[in-house]
Amino acid sequence: MTPLRDVVVMVELELRRIRHDRAELYTRAVQPVLWLVVFGPVMGALRAIPTGGIPYTDFITPGIIVQSMAFISIFFGLTVIWERESGILKKLLVTPLPRSSIVIGRSMSSGVRSTFQMLIIVPIAMLIGVRIIPNPLYFLGALAIIFLASGGFAAISVFIASIMKSRERFMGIGQAIIMPLFFASNALYPVEMMPPILKALSSVNPLSYIVDAVRSLLITGDLAQLPMDIVAIAIFDIAMFIIASISFKRIIK
Amino acid sequence: MKHLPILDACALSIFMQSAVDARGIVKVYEGKVRALAGVDLQVGSENVFALLGPNGSGKTTLMRILTTQMPPTEGRALVMGHDTVRGGAGIRRIVGYVPQEMSVWTDITGYENMLIYAKIYGIPCESRRRLINEALDGIGLSEVADKLVRSYSGGMIRRLEIASALLISPKILFLDEPTIGLDPMARKVVWEKLSSFKREFGTTVFFNTHYMDEADLYADEIGIISRGRIIRTGTVAELKRSVGGDVLLLELEPGGIGSPLLERLRAVESVKGVALGESELRVIADDAETALPGVMRLLDGSGILVRKVSMSAPTLDDVFLKYAGTRLESNSRIADIAKVRQTIRRG
Ligand SMILES: Nc1ncnc2c1ncn2[C@@H]1O[C@H](COP(=O)(O)OP(=O)(O)OP(=O)(O)O)[C@@H](O)[C@H]1O
Ligand SMILES: [Mg+2]
Repeated sequence: MTPLRDVVVMVELELRRIRHDRAELYTRAVQPVLWLVVFGPVMGALRAIPTGGIPYTDFITPGIIVQSMAFISIFFGLTVIWERESGILKKLLVTPLPRSSIVIGRSMSSGVRSTFQMLIIVPIAMLIGVRIIPNPLYFLGALAIIFLASGGFAAISVFIASIMKSRERFMGIGQAIIMPLFFASNALYPVEMMPPILKALSSVNPLSYIVDAVRSLLITGDLAQLPMDIVAIAIFDIAMFIIASISFKRIIK
Repeated sequence: MKHLPILDACALSIFMQSAVDARGIVKVYEGKVRALAGVDLQVGSENVFALLGPNGSGKTTLMRILTTQMPPTEGRALVMGHDTVRGGAGIRRIVGYVPQEMSVWTDITGYENMLIYAKIYGIPCESRRRLINEALDGIGLSEVADKLVRSYSGGMIRRLEIASALLISPKILFLDEPTIGLDPMARKVVWEKLSSFKREFGTTVFFNTHYMDEADLYADEIGIISRGRIIRTGTVAELKRSVGGDVLLLELEPGGIGSPLLERLRAVESVKGVALGESELRVIADDAETALPGVMRLLDGSGILVRKVSMSAPTLDDVFLKYAGTRLESNSRIADIAKVRQTIRRG
């Protein structure tokens, strides 16, 4: 049970940081909210995308939540770089925390921020008329999916942090990873609409599975694909945690 | 005799008595930088040990190896009887550590920093609050415990780091330049706390420093490190005695001494080391009376006016000068480190 306890401590740390500085949560919410209130209605009015009877803004709400989660997580590496430049990481290494717990714990911290982000975005979506399934269990399920998936992306960012030593380059790489994943996913249009190559890419794109899971829980209520989505997300997380743990050795050198 | 197994057991028991026992430690960074070039070092248990050395001599590298952060390239080290590579987990449970750089989260309070570490160490819920408050109180931070660390001064941050290293009553404490950037009062508070803690728990203290007076006042034993090698260890008195001779202090009119002249001064009969300060020249000599005429002649010949000559007992700086061939104290360096810490704080 100790690995779980370690992660819980790291999550608590993140909660305390957020409690002292909420401003970042709000500024980070600006971009997803723009997608919701501008991009959604405008594209929806064109009626160019077949969404199976769902209003377009409703259709992309899960995608926007997931995109915001992916950005928050991928930039979490900046925190890890800062912790390396200061002595924090060195000190953590000299505690009884196993190194894997440090990697997973620091990664899951970004999950805390992502779930808070979702708690800001969803009410705004409801305000502009997006119909969220009124089932608290479904909603909690979606929160859990966002929390867990966030860890995988934060682990990617720990891996990038081990190669990139400067912040500026880090920002560039982060954008260069998330945007293509986002556009090659089912976040903005159904997979059926995509050309065959993109369709194939989408089936190995973790974002597609995460969007699908969140969409089924928040918007459609059709849970048929959910088990497979969860398996895909779990595989993604585990693979990323392993890569991050291996690359972590380089960070601390 | 040499082959009797009993001797091995003896050797082992000597091992067990040392808090730190390093043999032949070599560390090469990225296949290029040879930071440690064969370190042999024994530190007695329940001692306060100071590692003194100039910038880049390998102090931090050695401490990072001893605290199990990275393996040595060659050699092996035991800390409280545990191997730093294979027994790392055993060491991490009993060691307190303060890195050279700032190591606290600045966007939460001092108390919260301690709380997170208390939880990491699995200190039970009932005693957490009391232990943290005692630790903060003991180092004079209880009034600011609930303020964000961002608002702390450099000295308060350092004290918080030390408090959190003491939280688990470690068997051995590793402090990398523990009082860097602290004013004299704060340094005194820190060392009083460390001394009383050591008396109470019998903790071994291993610290890196460039403050010679600090090593002089608080260390039972000192190791001198230069270019990745420990060149001398001993008690302060032993080391000073080993300078073996006199120190001549010559007060000069400012200006005018170049390195060729310093070289020629070093060649004067009985002179063992020469160091130039702002307006004074320190000459270590086997025998001051023999050295003085030669030194004066050279200075006169170069047109340098000597205002005053005096003799003094050797200081640790002279010890350093003798064994490492350079001076230790350098104000620019202290300023440098203070600056680095500052930048890191701003994040
Ligand atoms: N992570 C690293 N990668 C490459 N080289 C390093 C690394 N850390 C230290 N070095 C080099 O190893 C040498 C010893 O450095 P170290 O930090 O151990 O010295 P130090 O005695 O602690 O110096 P200071 O008093 O400045 O803290 C230096 O030449 C330094 O540049
Ligand atoms: Mg150092």
